[in-house]
Amino acid sequence: MAGRLAHVADCFEGDPKVSAAAAGAALEVERVRRAYGAVVAVDDVSLTVGRGEFVTLLGPSGSGKTTTLRLVGGFEGVQAGAIRINGARVDGEPPYRRDTATIFQSGALFPHKTVAENVAYGLRMRKAPKPEIAERVARALDIVRLQGFEDRFPSQLSGGQKQRVALARSLVVRPAVLLFDEPLSALDLSLRLQLRAEIKRLHDELGFSAIYVTHDQGEAMAMSSRVAVMNRGRIEQIDKPERVFHEPANEFVYTFIGESCRMDVRLENGRTLDPQGRPVELRLAAPLPDGAWRLYVRPSRLKIAGDGEPAPNRLRGTIHFVEFLGDVFRTHVKAGALELFADHPGRLQQGPGDVVDLVWANEDMKAFQ
Amino acid sequence: MTLARADSALAQAEPRPAKTSRRPNLAPWLLLSPALVIVLVFFGLPTLFMARMSFNLHIDQRLYVPGFTFEHYRTLFTNPIFTGAIWTTAQLALLSSLATVLIGYAFALLAWLKPARWRLLFIGLALCPLLISEIAIIFGWWMFFPKNGLLSYALVSSGLITDKISLMYTEFAAFVGLVYITLPYAFFILLSILDGIDRQMLESSADLGASPVVTFREVLLPLTRSGLLVAFSQAFIWAMGIYATPSALGPDTLWTMGFLIQEQMLGKHNWPLASALSMVLVVGVALVMILTRSLMSRQAAYHV
Repeated sequence: MAGRLAHVADCFEGDPKVSAAAAGAALEVERVRRAYGAVVAVDDVSLTVGRGEFVTLLGPSGSGKTTTLRLVGGFEGVQAGAIRINGARVDGEPPYRRDTATIFQSGALFPHKTVAENVAYGLRMRKAPKPEIAERVARALDIVRLQGFEDRFPSQLSGGQKQRVALARSLVVRPAVLLFDEPLSALDLSLRLQLRAEIKRLHDELGFSAIYVTHDQGEAMAMSSRVAVMNRGRIEQIDKPERVFHEPANEFVYTFIGESCRMDVRLENGRTLDPQGRPVELRLAAPLPDGAWRLYVRPSRLKIAGDGEPAPNRLRGTIHFVEFLGDVFRTHVKAGALELFADHPGRLQQGPGDVVDLVWANEDMKAFQ
Repeated sequence: MTLARADSALAQAEPRPAKTSRRPNLAPWLLLSPALVIVLVFFGLPTLFMARMSFNLHIDQRLYVPGFTFEHYRTLFTNPIFTGAIWTTAQLALLSSLATVLIGYAFALLAWLKPARWRLLFIGLALCPLLISEIAIIFGWWMFFPKNGLLSYALVSSGLITDKISLMYTEFAAFVGLVYITLPYAFFILLSILDGIDRQMLESSADLGASPVVTFREVLLPLTRSGLLVAFSQAFIWAMGIYATPSALGPDTLWTMGFLIQEQMLGKHNWPLASALSMVLVVGVALVMILTRSLMSRQAAYHV
């Protein structure tokens, strides 16, 4: 394994381009904007990818994450702002003059070229000498564990193998920034997890700089140095995965990352009303000012308590139904017009129709007005 | 001995699959039969009759006299009128189909690369010539090419030329007329091939450092090669066989095979010679098709 690591590493360290500019950021995106007619796809987005950093753009569809990636790759033009790769401005340059390499969702392999020819393509375009091409192609295929597949055509490969070839084809040119455009979303779950771990391993070993676009928060959490959560063309928060999860900057980030139960309530003179104006029995440890609030708790942090148990926050409701999700049971509770669900590992004593109290700790609740 | 035993064991183990496997063999033929009957009755038989006719005798201005002679084929390949016509037709067909494929490729690329609303416009434009009869199109050209026609008027009024010109009854007019007829077929064939290509491949090629010209040479051209060959052979078949357009637009001296077949058949009442000329045409077109097919098969592997 040590030998493997060493020879994999010089795939990148041998490149003078990488070591010389090691001080600055690999990629700087500065206040870029892109609109299609009246629709603003990317609005004033700024982003820096440090050398060796793996930054994920996470967001729902239509949030502008793919457009941001395509602006960096040069497939779309910016209407305002600047993009710098290794300090040099590239936003006026076509894709073939930018030092980026994209791994597309479809792979976009050339069907009329063999695996080896596909991987060699970028090197040929860079006019690398033939012996060097052969050596680097062999090494890249070794890295993605596809030795012996050199002469196959893409149509003879499985979906996972195709994405490995796409990965090798991009890695082999040693770009300043690798761009991943949802490369795993077309694969089935087990393969997705396997390739996800593999990309993570390659990043640890090779230390490339990358932007990774995904709508899968599991991927984002597992692989990234930093996660940028995007919504409506803007970056809502950019931070380490743990901080995005535990210290969301705003309501959107909180609700997008992980599951949550939402309580729409109105507080009035010590009473709590549901959206339809009926009173619900909610007791909060730290009272909030009067007004309309949106309170959130993660289902894993909600507990179902017996009547007498002390707990700082408490909501009384009726069990609606119970689901078995494999790892946990999920109990759906209704309190007036509020609907919540609590996850717990064991089966409950109580069943549908029973009145229960949902309790949670102060630090597990987020309140937004 | 062991072999025999193995054989009988096999026969005992799988007597049924052998029986059932014979039945599906018939199914493709049954399914194919209606189309096959139509092709054989309406295309095969007449071609056979025509082949037989080409060996009949032509005596005393009668349409034909049953018999057997190679006379007509000898005439075709020795008389300069006929060899010239064969050569002219092949030349005109070759040039016009090359032009058709080039123009069709450019239009198909535009329709493929442009947004959807442009695509519809291109498809609509390409459909137009198919909706009008060849004769009506010829009338159109008669208003376009003469001295007082649209083309001359446009060139003079735009100041490109000073004197009116007529391109009517020139080989160029025949060439343009042929291209116009064959263009829609080439366009639709090429568009359907392009539609099967993942456009993201162009992006990935550019992304890996290939300029648009290199991307065209390395990716687009190899992937559309078979489409180009099909479009070419389609255009070539049309251009070889077509009769009215080159006769109506070209000069009187432009004798194509189609024109001569018509003349021998209706004017000179020489059915055997007309048939022999038709046979040469059919065989020539078939040879071109076989040639383009053989160029394609080498590339067919990755299309599966």
